[in-house]
Formats: sequence, structure tokens, C-alpha cells
Amino acid sequence: MVIAKEFEYQRPATLGEATRILAGHPGSARVLAGGTDLIAWLRDGAVAPDLVVDIKAIPDLHDLRIESDTLHIGGLVTFSDVIGSDVIAERAPLLAEMSETVGSTGIRNRATLAGNICSAVPSCDAAPVLLGYDTTVHLTGPGGDRTVDLNDWFLGPRRTARTDDEIVTHLTVEVPVHGGVYVKLMRYAGEDLAQAAVGIVAYPNDVYRVTFGAVAPVPFRSARIEETLRGRPLDDELIANVVAMVGDEISPITDIRATAAYRTRMTEVMLERGLRAARDRLNGEGPAYGERLI
Amino acid sequence: MTTTFPFEAETAEKDLQSVGTGAIRIDGLDKISGAAQFVDDIDFGPGLLHAAIVESPHAYARIVSIDTSKAEQASGVVRVVTGKDFPYKFGMYMEDRYIFAQDHVRFAGEQVAGVIARTHREAVQAAALIEVEYEVLEPLLDPKAAFADGADLIHPDLGNYTHVPWFFPTADTNIAHWRKIRKGDTARAFAEADFVLEDTYTVPRYAHCAIEPHVTVSKLDHADRLTVWTASQSPHTQRHLFAEALKPLGFTHQDVRVITPYIGGGFGGKAGVSMEIMGAAMATLVKGRPLKVRWTREQEFYNTYQRQGVVAELKVGVMNDGTITAVEHKLYWDAGAYVEYGANVVNAAGLSATGPYRVPNITNDSLCIYTNLPPGGPYRGFGYSEFHFGLESHMDRIAEAIGMDAVEFRKKNAIKEGDELSYGGHMNPSGLVEAIDKVAAAIEWGVDEESDNPNTVMGKGIACFWKAPAMPPNASSASFLKFNEDGSINISVSGMELGQGYLTVMAQIASEILTVPVNKIRVETPDTDRNPYEWQTVASHVTWSSGLAVEKAAVEARAKIFEVIHQAYGYEDDSLYLENETVRCSTDPDFAKPLREFVIDGIQTEEGTWRGGPIIASGKFMPEFTNANSDPETGQGGHPNVHYTVGACGVVLEIDKDTGRVWVRKAALAVDAGRAINPDLVKGQIVGGLVQGLATVLYEDMRFDEGGKMLNPNFTDYKIPTAFDIPDEIIPIIVEVPQPDGPFGARGVGEHTMIAAAPVIANAVYNALGTRIKSMPVTQEKIAMSLLEQRSL
Amino acid sequence: MEITMNVNGERWDISAAPADVLLDVLREKVGVKSPKIGCERGDCGSCTILLEGKTVRSCLVLAVEVDGQEITTVEGIGLEGLSRLQDLLLNNNAFQCGFCAPGIVLSATELLNNNPSPTRHDVQEALAGNLCRCTGYEPIIEAVLAAGSKAGAQ
Repeated sequence: MVIAKEFEYQRPATLGEATRILAGHPGSARVLAGGTDLIAWLRDGAVAPDLVVDIKAIPDLHDLRIESDTLHIGGLVTFSDVIGSDVIAERAPLLAEMSETVGSTGIRNRATLAGNICSAVPSCDAAPVLLGYDTTVHLTGPGGDRTVDLNDWFLGPRRTARTDDEIVTHLTVEVPVHGGVYVKLMRYAGEDLAQAAVGIVAYPNDVYRVTFGAVAPVPFRSARIEETLRGRPLDDELIANVVAMVGDEISPITDIRATAAYRTRMTEVMLERGLRAARDRLNGEGPAYGERLI
Repeated sequence: MTTTFPFEAETAEKDLQSVGTGAIRIDGLDKISGAAQFVDDIDFGPGLLHAAIVESPHAYARIVSIDTSKAEQASGVVRVVTGKDFPYKFGMYMEDRYIFAQDHVRFAGEQVAGVIARTHREAVQAAALIEVEYEVLEPLLDPKAAFADGADLIHPDLGNYTHVPWFFPTADTNIAHWRKIRKGDTARAFAEADFVLEDTYTVPRYAHCAIEPHVTVSKLDHADRLTVWTASQSPHTQRHLFAEALKPLGFTHQDVRVITPYIGGGFGGKAGVSMEIMGAAMATLVKGRPLKVRWTREQEFYNTYQRQGVVAELKVGVMNDGTITAVEHKLYWDAGAYVEYGANVVNAAGLSATGPYRVPNITNDSLCIYTNLPPGGPYRGFGYSEFHFGLESHMDRIAEAIGMDAVEFRKKNAIKEGDELSYGGHMNPSGLVEAIDKVAAAIEWGVDEESDNPNTVMGKGIACFWKAPAMPPNASSASFLKFNEDGSINISVSGMELGQGYLTVMAQIASEILTVPVNKIRVETPDTDRNPYEWQTVASHVTWSSGLAVEKAAVEARAKIFEVIHQAYGYEDDSLYLENETVRCSTDPDFAKPLREFVIDGIQTEEGTWRGGPIIASGKFMPEFTNANSDPETGQGGHPNVHYTVGACGVVLEIDKDTGRVWVRKAALAVDAGRAINPDLVKGQIVGGLVQGLATVLYEDMRFDEGGKMLNPNFTDYKIPTAFDIPDEIIPIIVEVPQPDGPFGARGVGEHTMIAAAPVIANAVYNALGTRIKSMPVTQEKIAMSLLEQRSL
Repeated sequence: MEITMNVNGERWDISAAPADVLLDVLREKVGVKSPKIGCERGDCGSCTILLEGKTVRSCLVLAVEVDGQEITTVEGIGLEGLSRLQDLLLNNNAFQCGFCAPGIVLSATELLNNNPSPTRHDVQEALAGNLCRCTGYEPIIEAVLAAGSKAGAQ
């Protein structure tokens, strides 16, 4: 559908300029990065701002680098950037595995990780993986710079801790030695939104982060499952125990994409296969990153 | 993956030069370079107007009032229209449909009003200002509920509708057509059968999803000539329907011109007339201005034809030796709000619902039932894909029950040349047994395959198929042919290049006869003013029908060429032949007259005068052996179908026992093309049709809410195959048992290649998992949850 | 707003409203018709263009976003004769209706520019965002693989 309601457009050259513009249009401006969500919403009439602020001209938001164990992902880093990055391939291939499941190349060339977590749809792909690391969102706004722990980021479907006048400048992600897996339930082999997702990061000494996506209003870590796993080597019985907890931990809906019962059943399968794969990958074995487990 | 051609065409003749070769498509360069022009690519200048359509959110409602006043005042608006502006009915086989809704809306998405504006944005903005008040009524969304006694009448005036004589509506019901086949004595046959299986299969609606949405540009010029540029499979039929629908405004056929360039996929959805009528009608109100109506993807889903859903109740009786003795097939079609085209789907299915088998006792009922859902219409397969799902699943179940191999069971009952058909006609020559044998060999039927992945199991399935073109008995094709100074040829036809390679095949036929290379032949896309008649490009019939017309034109051109040579040089016609664009003579080996030297200019005699002139020719074909005389109560006595194309399909599946995920490791599909004029293009239909068929059974899943509104009118939630969703290996097999009256023995294959996909998957899933799924789609979720249920028992 | 874009090597100065989508501006104001309108949601890929050498869905880009940038469509690929890829697609009879062809040619061109010897999976990945309803993809994949089989080819 053509974009029915017109708006103004500005393309600030600096972060300061951008946040000043946003502050001057409270509630009626939208930030435009990759646009793969925003333009679709504009076409649907789901959003109707008076002003669109394009941040792609702001320098220093494209950085993707590592400093010691801290990955720096700039606010304009795209999923394609992640997939093509040697740093990622070496230090956090899980991020590339997740990125490859997002849309298609033409979408990934534009869509940003920061935008993905700002859109914060329940099936958001980046979240189940980023929550498996110590991830911090760095923002700037009229009130200055601040940070938000990703665990405090998602407040509800399409709602985050970001205020309207703030811009995500970058994410920092702690990537010590680990193995991980992003398992995404889709309706077929082609691109799809997650009907359920499980992100697992396995750290040394049997420490696991287990995050569920698309099966609750927000992506979330299961403290209960993580506690049960902590410090215990994975075996069939332990895996069966945590799999049995899935039904109580998640609250999927039934919609045209899948029923709640199927989502629950599949999340159990995904957790089981995912735990083994994450552990194996920590040990330098297991399926290659990018190989689908389901 | 490999696409392999392991089987030589058995009737290939060594001396054919063009027919039987994989010639490069003559439209290939256009498409590869971006030059190919589709309707929306044509520029109409700054005067182009745009329309936005207001559609009903309700599946069934009375229109109480429409307030267009705000829209009329909006910026850029030229005109606002409602049903009041065009209170006319129209329709292909039955006139039951309106240009804009009149008193009632009958499906969610039906057009209620239209805004014509100077820009697309202004049209959309103004359309949002139109206020429609509805009295919402209870919709009928299930065909059996609509069929039941006492159901609300969706078309109370059905008894007065104009329709073709071979449709049988029941007045004062929702039954728009009822095709009955009564043959032999099924009651007795069932009583005497050794084994009878009865069950119900459900197939939902499907969407064509051509990547190009429907679009028209219409212009009524100041001389009252209406031209419609349209993405249509059927320019002449569209012209006819526009002229008929607008007759109250004074139009006849000579006032209407339809121009169709390339279209971006049809699959039946661009046949007949669906949304196009709105543009044609609205253009009459803005004389002198071209008006574009372009569908969004959402509208493409819910406000064009859909493939009908069907509830199939099937009962089949067999003897212990595997002989089928009786078939009772009741098809309750969810045909939608308007059945002007879709009723013929119901008819076609009814005539052939035994499947490709020899059956002496038949009681088949195919019921076209109105529902408050989008209009059902032509979709690749035309009813056959829908009933083959249940039929071929059922055949597998019977074979297993009587302890017979599924392939042997089918071969035993396979219909052969001369066998009697449901309606009393006789089967044409065909290679069904050969197709079954070759497919079975290609997937190593009978050899169990083991998976080396502990999470998965393997399974194999077989199904066969048939289909005949469903056409009026006088559907015809025609062709003009002319030469140019360089010896090249223009062929003018009104068949459409949907992508199937029609233009190339026509060129190959002409090339074979006139020995002009295919790349020196242009086949022109239709303009109803210039190109002679073609009924429609549907029914997989144009290779046969239009091919015959082109063949005749080429033969006539050749005869004229020889006549000119005879007049100029005295050689007898029967001593002349063509070779490499040159006229040769069997009695004078030195004679060689290149075509380009005389096909325009003629030949100069010794006296200095000239003989000949431009070589032009024409050809037409209309079958003269078909009729629609069948008895309404028994279906007997007519000859409605020209011939059947048959084939078989086999798959090897791997299935994840926990997730239900299905990998098609291997798929073999054999179709009897009679003669593959271009084997590459036939292979293209096999691969493309198979993938489209697999999608309907594996993941395409149309959903409606309780109010009858489609919930997933987009590619995000109505999934069609991507490059990842194809079988690992497809083995296309071309069988060639010639069609005696076809051009070089050819018959059509375009639709057939998707028909067996659904049952072959259901059969392979059963083979792998022991679970029989009787409703489509057979999704991952259905399989996973069915397995879970099995495990908990 | 006044913007400038370079389309297939030619400079265009365009007036566009912020809400005008790039796909529509290319088709209507620049007159380049090969990017198609198929779904207007980024699902079908028929609107694909190369923006600064990378494939994007032009139906999800505002025209004003590409001020000063370089756009290539399939008309720009074949300016000096068909590319090797196009030749192979043509000779393999890879396309049927042709509506998806411009987008697919661009996606495959981007792939071969970045990865001269792609695997079958690489090709499927590169094309997965371009929907084709006609061909079942096989002949297209074969042609792209053939185009990639000689490292360093065009």
C-alpha cells in the first residue's frame, strides 16, 4: 500500500543534532535506520509520524570491533555486516548463525541489530542470542548518555526501555570463550518469523544461559532452567528434567502461525537438541554453526 | 541436484529439426535484460488517473448506505463510484456477479465503491473517507452448511440467472450447479464387492500467488473506443465479458480493444474477468483519461479468484484381485460468493472424479455450493488437484487393505485407450502404465530406504493423475502468419505467454514446417484488434489448439510459397520442399531459391513482370467432435472433453519424527506430453508444477476468521516456496504416446504437473510414519502433533 | 525534496516527497521499470535493486534516503552486452514469466561479486528472498552455479 499519510524527513549529521530533533517532536517522530520494519509499518498505516529522522548519515555508528572480550556493535551495524565479519566468525559465530535466519540478503543488507531489538516484536531474532551474553545497550539522548542492561530492555511487545528521544549508539557484548546455538522454529526452509525460538550460550564449567523467544510477550531467560543446569554436566536425565520445565516456563499463544501446544512441544525439542549442540560447540565439536537443528 | 533425463522419447523422429529440441525461449532475452514489458511498466503520461477500491470488511451484509460526500471533496479526486453507477451483472459461464456490489456484499473483500483520483496517494486517502453502513448478516462459510436444507440463500434469484446450457443450478438453494454421473449400478457393485472403503477428505482454499499482481489500465477515448491494457490470460474472452457487462452502456465488441503484453504468471488466476471489470467500467466515466487499477498483494489474495475448497466423500469398491468395480464420489465444493467461472471447475471435476481408472459403476456428484467466501475460479489443475488428494490417498489405502502393492494396483486399473469414460466417451491413446513404471523405477519403488539420522525416517509414495481441458465445446484458436523481407516471420496469435513458453512452441511448430530458424520468428503478444481469436490460455490446451492453428497457417504459407515458385518456374508443387529457408526441388537438385528473395517482393519473370507478392497465411482450429449434450441426471451422452493427459509421480521423503519436518529427497514425475515440442519447456512445467503442488500440501495454509475474513493475505503468513524449499533431486520424465490429432502429436501438460503432489506426499507420510492425514495441508505441525498423539496412545 | 541519484551510470535530479518510496520513484520518475511491484512488504524480492553495490528491497526504502547514492538495476548490468550470468540463465531457459528475473539477476550478481565459486547452498541463500512461482528454481540455481564455476569470471 502506498504510504497514505505524509511526513517530513530529516537526516542529521551528528548524534547531538538527531537527539535535539527527536526531543523537539515528542511522540510524533520515528527513528529510521535500516527501515525494513519502519517502512513496512508506514505502508500499513500502523505508524503515522509527522517526522522521520534518518540516522544513517551519523558517523561512528557502523563500527563492529572487538576489544579484549568485549564486542562493540554499532547502532547501524546490519545483519549482513555480522555475517561477513571476521571478528564475529572468530569470536561469536553464534551471532552470524542467528543473523542468517533473519529475512533474506536484501533485508539483511539494511536491517540492523539495534533496530531489531528496538522494534522488539516478540519473535525478535537478536534477543534470544544477545540475552545469552552480558549485553549492554548504549543510548544517547537529550539528557545525555546512559546504558541499559539487555535483561532490563524488553518491557512488552514492541516496548522497550528506550524513550522516544533516544538513539541506540551501540551494543557491547561480552564474548569470553563459549559455545552457543540459535534454534528457530519456522514453517519451512525458507525465510520465516520465529514461531518459537531458543537461544543457548554454554560457558565453561557447565554454566548455561537459556533464552526463549516468540513464546511469551517478551524474550526472556529462564532462571529456573539456568539454575537447574548450573554446575552439572549435561546428561540425558538432566536434559529431560529441564525439558519437562518448559511447559511451565513459557506462555505461547495460538495464532495463525502455530498453536500453543505445538509451540510448547517444539520448544521442548529445541531445548533438548540445543543444549547438546551448545555444549558440543563449547568443546569445539558439534554441528557447524549455521546448520539447522530442526 | 541433478535434473536427469534418463528416458529417451520413444517416438522421436530423427529428421525433425525444431520440434523436439530444447530451443532457447524467444522471449528469454527480453526477460533476462529487463526489456520485458508488463502492464504496470507501460507509461501513459501525466494524465494517468488512479483508482482505489473500497471493500467490504464483512463476509455477508446488506449495504444500508454509502456516504461518498467527504471523498468527493477530497484533494485530487475526479470521481467516486458505487454499485449504483453500474447495476449490471456479468459472468463467464453464469451471470451472477456484479461490477460493484449492489444491495448485498457476499464476501469479505467484495468491492463496494471506487475512487478515481489524480495520484495513487490521493485515491487511497479519499477512499478512507467513504463511509459505508452495513447490516451484518450471518455468513455461510462451510459448503455442507450452505448445502443443508433451510440454509440462508446467498443468491435468492439463482433460478433466474442466465447460464450455459450445461450447468444445472437448483433454484431456491445455494446449489449453483450439480454435475451428476450415473453409470452402471453402484449399489449392486458395492454389495458384491470384496472390499469397500469409505472416507472423507478435506481440501481448503488456495491462492495462485503469481508474483505480478492483477493490474489494468483502461481508457475510453473521445471517439468512444474503450481500450483496456490488462495482465490477462484471456484477452478475447475479457473483451467479450467487458462488452457483455457494458452492453447497457451501448458497447459492443467492436468498441472494445484489449491489449495484453507479457504477464507475470497466471496459474489460472488471470483468466476470465475478476478485478479487471472495475477499471473498464470506471474508465467510461472519465472519458479521455487512462485509469490504472493495480491490486495490492493483499487484494491479490482475497479479491481475485481463489482455488475452491472441497469436502470429498469417497467410497470405492474392489474385488480381491484388485479390480475396481465401483466409485461413489461426492464433492461438496466451497465455491464462494460468485461462481460464474468456478462452476466450471465443479463441472470438470464431476466428469472425471473417478481418476485415471477403468470404473464400470459410478455415482459421482459434484456440487457447486455458494458460500460467503471469495469467488472460486480457475486455478492450475481446475478441480483435479483438489479431488486427486482424496482419490489417490484412498487408492493407496485400498491396495494396502487387500494386500496388493500400490503400484501394481494402479497399473491393474489404469485406464487405457478405448476404455469408456464416466460420461460415455472413450479414452484417448495415453501412456499411463509407462508413466507409472518409469516413476516407480526412478524412486526405486519396493526398496525400503533407511535414514542414517536417528531423528528421521524415510518413506516413499506414488500417485497418478489425469486431466482433460475443461472448455466449451467450441473453444477455438486462430493464427495469422506473415513473412518479412529478411525471410523472418511474424506470427500473430492471441494465446498468452504466461511463462510456459507458448510463444516459443508456436515458433518451433512454424519453424519445423517453414524451415525458418526459431530465432527468426517473432510471435506477437495479443491485441484484440490485430491478433485473431483465441478463447483463453487456460486448460493446458494452447499447445494443442493454437499449435494446430499455427501449424495450419504454416502449411498454408508453404503451399503459397510453392504456388509462387510453380508460377514463376513451372516446377510441380509436389516436387518442391523447404530446407534451410530455401525452396528446393527434388527433380532439379540445382534449384535453390532463398525465401527472403521473394516472400515480399515476389519473383520477376523473363518478361519483367512479377509473380507472388507478400506471403501471408492464416489457420484456425475448433474441435468439431465435442459437445455438451450430457444428460443432467446421468451425465451420459455428451463428449465434453477433447482428450486426457495422464501421468504419475513418486517421492522419497525424509521426515523428522519429533518436528514433523519433511525433506523431499527425490521426486520423479512422468507426464505423457504426446510429443514434447520443446522438452526443456516441458521439463520446466514438471519442475515448476511439482514445486507449486508440493507447496499446497506442505505449507500453504489459507486461514479465515469466524467472520469470513482472510487472516493471512500476504507472503509473510501464506508461504510459497523459496529457493530453499525444493526437492533435493527432481527427475522429470517425458512419456510420448502421440495425441493423434495434436500438432506433431502434442498435447498439453501445463496444469498436470501439480496434480499428484498432494496425494503423493500423504501416501509417503503414511509409508514413513504409519499416520494417514486426510486433510490438507499436511504441515509440519500436523505431522508433529499426530506423531505426539500416536506416542501417547 | 530535491534529491540526486545515480541510476545505471546516469545522474538524475528528482523531486520526491519524503513519503515517496524508492521503488515508485524509480519506476515513475526515472522510468526504470525492471524493479517490480510484487508485494510492497519486502517479502517477494521483485523490487530488488543494487544500492551502492548491495541488494536492497526498494519497496522498503524511501527515495529521499538514497540522495547522492548509486543504484544499479538489471538494465545497468547488461549495458555492454549480457553478463556471463545472464547468458547462462538465457541458455538454460531458466526463467518463465520473467517477472522475478530482474531481482534474481541482481541477487545472483551480488553473490558472484562477493563469492565467485558459490556452493549450491550459497546460491539458495542468495536467492531465498526472491520468490519465483513459475520455475521451481532449479534451472536458475543450475545457471548461477555454472556462472560461478570458473573463479574470477565476470
